[in-house]
Amino acid sequence: MGRLDGRVIIVTGGGQGIGRAFALGFAKEGAKVAIADINGPAAESVAAEIGEAGGDALAVVADVSSEESTKAMAATVVGHWGRIDGLMNNAAMFQRPQITDGPIEEIPVEEWDRVMAVNLKGPFLCCRAVIGQMKEQMYGKIVNISSGTVFSGRSILHYVSSKGGVTAFTRVLAKQTGDWNITVNSIAPGLTASDPERDQSAYEGRVSARSIPRVQEPDDLVGAGVFLLSSESDFMSGQTMVVDGGAVMH
Amino acid sequence: MASARRVWTIAVGRLDDRVIIVTGGAAGIGRAYITGFVAEGAKVVVADIDGEGAAKAAAEVVAGGGEALAVTVDVSDVGQTEAMAKATLDRFGRIDGLVNNAAIAIRVKHVNAPVEELPVEEWDRVIAVNLRGPFLCCRAVLPHMKSRGYGKIINIASGTFFKGTPFISNYVASKGGVIGLTRTLAREAGKSGITVNCIAPGLTASETEEMPASHYEARVPDRAIKRVEVPEDLVGAAIFFMSKDSDFMTGQTIIIDGGVAIN
Repeated sequence: MGRLDGRVIIVTGGGQGIGRAFALGFAKEGAKVAIADINGPAAESVAAEIGEAGGDALAVVADVSSEESTKAMAATVVGHWGRIDGLMNNAAMFQRPQITDGPIEEIPVEEWDRVMAVNLKGPFLCCRAVIGQMKEQMYGKIVNISSGTVFSGRSILHYVSSKGGVTAFTRVLAKQTGDWNITVNSIAPGLTASDPERDQSAYEGRVSARSIPRVQEPDDLVGAGVFLLSSESDFMSGQTMVVDGGAVMH
Repeated sequence: MASARRVWTIAVGRLDDRVIIVTGGAAGIGRAYITGFVAEGAKVVVADIDGEGAAKAAAEVVAGGGEALAVTVDVSDVGQTEAMAKATLDRFGRIDGLVNNAAIAIRVKHVNAPVEELPVEEWDRVIAVNLRGPFLCCRAVLPHMKSRGYGKIINIASGTFFKGTPFISNYVASKGGVIGLTRTLAREAGKSGITVNCIAPGLTASETEEMPASHYEARVPDRAIKRVEVPEDLVGAAIFFMSKDSDFMTGQTIIIDGGVAIN
């Protein structure tokens, strides 16, 4: 009775945090889930967790900024299950100390390039790798993870710029792929408590700006992810859903 | 025995035991919401200015094994919206959801004219139903939802707000107003566990008997997904916004139009 029964779905960055919550949620709805992560052991661990719960999952090591790696990811999934129904572009660089928060003149140029390579070129390459298969199937569901910061402008410069690119990319790709019944939409989360090792006051600092005044958890995003990967959203494309407790309104 | 059966039901429906009011629920898109909600286990209130239509829709739900109440309501009338909320509470004891779907649609008995030629009464009539209506219906159910600390409200806007469709300024302004109402109410009611979101459909073939097919087909070439929009295209989003799956999403508007307008 799952809403994603039989669907083969790739979740990039599925080895931890929000990606892990998506992967577990999709498996619960009956999907076969490919956990694609640059961190192999993390991907294995989530795949094992799904397997133990009676689901069907596959761990794939993938660097989304590498064309070769994304092509291998798609080939592995097709080789294993024979199809790809959904792609969740969740892998991203998003917080300190991975990236520098500061004025434009203090952001290292190489770091700008690296953030764009993972956060924007990554979804481009992953979509490029799976779109042929989806077109062949005449059906596909792509979900990109953007960010509420695109609408508030209140976060790290290169991170927000990459996520603005993701929203724009979503819009154009939707127009390009509708003839094959492929929908492309984005979810824009607020700051989510996905890292238990991070200083929790960072998460609590966002609470007062929200309509629903509490910390955002990874599970808060799963319903929207399931909706956009299920047949229930088959006539919705090119859109961005903000799920942030009502901080920004879009 | 009853409890064993109940466990099974809970595993199936995403809206089990939720009491949901759908205004304009007797026909068209509203009727499709009713069908979808009932299939997910909700108890529904078919609220419509067409009392006979509401009674017929409710009877169909009951005949299918569901629970439904028909209420005759003009959403632009304060007393009638309050009576609608009271009738729901009298019958079911709670209100979990409200879909503000009733509206004067652009195609039915509607004057198309540039702003300077649009009769002022036409402006007032459309705003009264399409914008004042949702305001009054929200006003009628909010005290109850706040007292329970939970509620789900959906307002229906329109893709025309994003496109600025000409010659229907009253309709487009009313739907833009609905988005404004959605945002403000979301901030006001969030701390009470109430979410308020908005669905903006494209032109939907919901009254096929009143319009020729060509009217709907004319919109198809602009879409990423090139077909006529039907009421069922909107049901999944409505279930999502009525279910706990959307409990951390509020104040937002999603366009469902096959990918024409963008938000």
